[in-house]
Amino acid sequence: MAEKDKDRDKEKDVLHVGIDLGTSRSSISASTGERHVVESYVGWPLDMVARKVLKKPVLIGSEAIQNRSMLDLHRPLEQGLIKEGSDKDEAAVRELLGHLLSLVGVDREERNGRKVRAVVGVPAEALRVNKQHVRKALQGAVDSLMIVSEPFAVAYGLEALLHTMIIDSGAGTTDFCVMNGRLPTEDDQRTLPQAGDWIDEQLMRFAKARHPEASISIHMVRQWKEEGSFVGDTKTPVVVTAPVNGKPTQLDITGEMRQACEGILPPMVESMLDLLSKAQPDYQEKIRNNVVVSGGTALIRGLGQRLEQELQAVGGGKVRVVKDPVYVGSDGGLAIAVDAPEGDWEKLTA
Amino acid sequence: MAQDIDRLKRQMLRELVQENLDLIEGRLPRGLRKRRIPVAVRVLGLAVLSLGLFGSARLLPSLTGAAAAPPAASASTAAARPAPRSAAAPARPLPEAPTVLTSAPTPVDEAVFPLAIRRIAIDAGHGGESIGTRAPLGLVEKELTLDIALRVRKLLEADSFQVLMTREQDRSLSLEERGQAANRAHADVFVSIHLNWIVNRKTRGIETYYLGPTDDPFLTRLAADENRESGYSMADMRRLLDRIYADVRQKKSKKLAQVVQASLFGSLEKANPGLEDRGVKAAPFIVLLTTEMPAILAEVSCLSNEEEAELLTKPQYRQYIAEALAAGVRSYAGSAADSGKKGI
Repeated sequence: MAEKDKDRDKEKDVLHVGIDLGTSRSSISASTGERHVVESYVGWPLDMVARKVLKKPVLIGSEAIQNRSMLDLHRPLEQGLIKEGSDKDEAAVRELLGHLLSLVGVDREERNGRKVRAVVGVPAEALRVNKQHVRKALQGAVDSLMIVSEPFAVAYGLEALLHTMIIDSGAGTTDFCVMNGRLPTEDDQRTLPQAGDWIDEQLMRFAKARHPEASISIHMVRQWKEEGSFVGDTKTPVVVTAPVNGKPTQLDITGEMRQACEGILPPMVESMLDLLSKAQPDYQEKIRNNVVVSGGTALIRGLGQRLEQELQAVGGGKVRVVKDPVYVGSDGGLAIAVDAPEGDWEKLTA
Repeated sequence: MAQDIDRLKRQMLRELVQENLDLIEGRLPRGLRKRRIPVAVRVLGLAVLSLGLFGSARLLPSLTGAAAAPPAASASTAAARPAPRSAAAPARPLPEAPTVLTSAPTPVDEAVFPLAIRRIAIDAGHGGESIGTRAPLGLVEKELTLDIALRVRKLLEADSFQVLMTREQDRSLSLEERGQAANRAHADVFVSIHLNWIVNRKTRGIETYYLGPTDDPFLTRLAADENRESGYSMADMRRLLDRIYADVRQKKSKKLAQVVQASLFGSLEKANPGLEDRGVKAAPFIVLLTTEMPAILAEVSCLSNEEEAELLTKPQYRQYIAEALAAGVRSYAGSAADSGKKGI
């Protein structure tokens, strides 16, 4: 962020934050320059014993995953949205947001007179009711709140506002958005449920089928994917460790990893080409040459090249994978928060 | 270039702030909001419409070679048609003013002669505290029915129908209130939009209901679910049912259901291979019971089916559903107009 923006915040005692509320991970970028990412898990000690051992009323992020056997563990976001109908999940979202804000120095109870203005990204095709839930969860935690489509936040942060296609693939959803120099409408956007979690499920299924003797959990699979996901060819085999009859054993899951990761390609390519074909014909070539992939799934090795190959069918194009896919959404949210005029923020009271 | 980006950013931020204000204040997104026609345009439209009708009834026959026909006969032909649409309704291209009629015979737009069936009540199922069914992806029935209903309104209004919405936002409304709203507006047909939930989650399909008795335990249960918020006792229901089953409009409702079901299945089958035509059925839904016009309840999709739920996340598919519903209503209205009387 520019120095002048920091000065502006200091003068007015305002903190701007961008939040990417993700199914798997949530990140926050603040106008103080701080950035944090946490696993989107919240857990409450199961009983008195657990409370005594853990010494905390609630655990969040990786700490919650590590101690999951002692916790009532919740992953409160599903497909990038707050799960409905469960008070516990709504409470978990509030805890998660409170935790994210505390990481950048915002105390829920006492903000020392400092105004907090937040921009929160949600999936492109989130319904109004989902956005209302986000507003409700943040009530009282921030002073003003703006909700944006996640791919738009990414585009804004990258200043890719004209003739660009953003493919933002996280754990819960893959969002597509064509930027035409205006706020994207629903015709410019698509959301697919196939994303990181979907790959995890496929990989779990394939790995269990190949190694039925091994004990495999979804947390293990998620970690394997983060370390070794790829599409296309690889010279490095994917070898992981899992217990077989209680004994740690090395398993080769190269083929299963490829199969699981490549499974996301057909719906992704179809949506990309479909959205391209709906763009104004004059600009289709420009858009094809400005495809940006962000989000955790962007970390799959070879994904960018593979999408470029698929674009050959419609005349070729260029795909850029962002360098910092984990923070690109929250950074974009922060850029929006900082740029929004003071007068507008006053109208958007949380 | 930097200036261009700054300008774009400013413009987008303005739109974004407005979108958020709409969300806070419970207004519909701009794309779905009913377009307001400025007063001046409405007044002008009314004046032109009146002149157009006057010209049609009095001047047109003499200019099209029908001068020999008695003027009274021409006037009565026009008078036999239903009254003109309200001037507040979205305007179709209007006939030229009399200046044109005096210079050359100009065909009059059919839209100035309304269809026999012209007021359509569209009921977006559930709303407010009644969320209806729900599926993963954050999909809830009340939001989807409203989205589809608003799309249907847009399509029907473009066809010069007058459309009454029982709700235009996320709010609670009893089943009785929905029917009464349609009755008060003297709607010609009533279409209630719902999404189904079927225990066998592999099932995907559409079905359309009209009011009638059923022995099917599934339909009895479904009707009981949908009627839960009606406030009617079982005794009330029996009285109402006895009255309605003998009513001639049951036949009209059945016809409407058949036409809409055929349109829904015929259109959606292409976009949704494997879709099942679950047919037209009779069931005692309270929302159909309280209306005084032909009324149907269309279960336009199954939220219990994963593939259908995924399709419903796509605006294009919701638009297909809306187009099929509108086409069904249009087709029913057309056949009613052909028969030369209200209803079939």
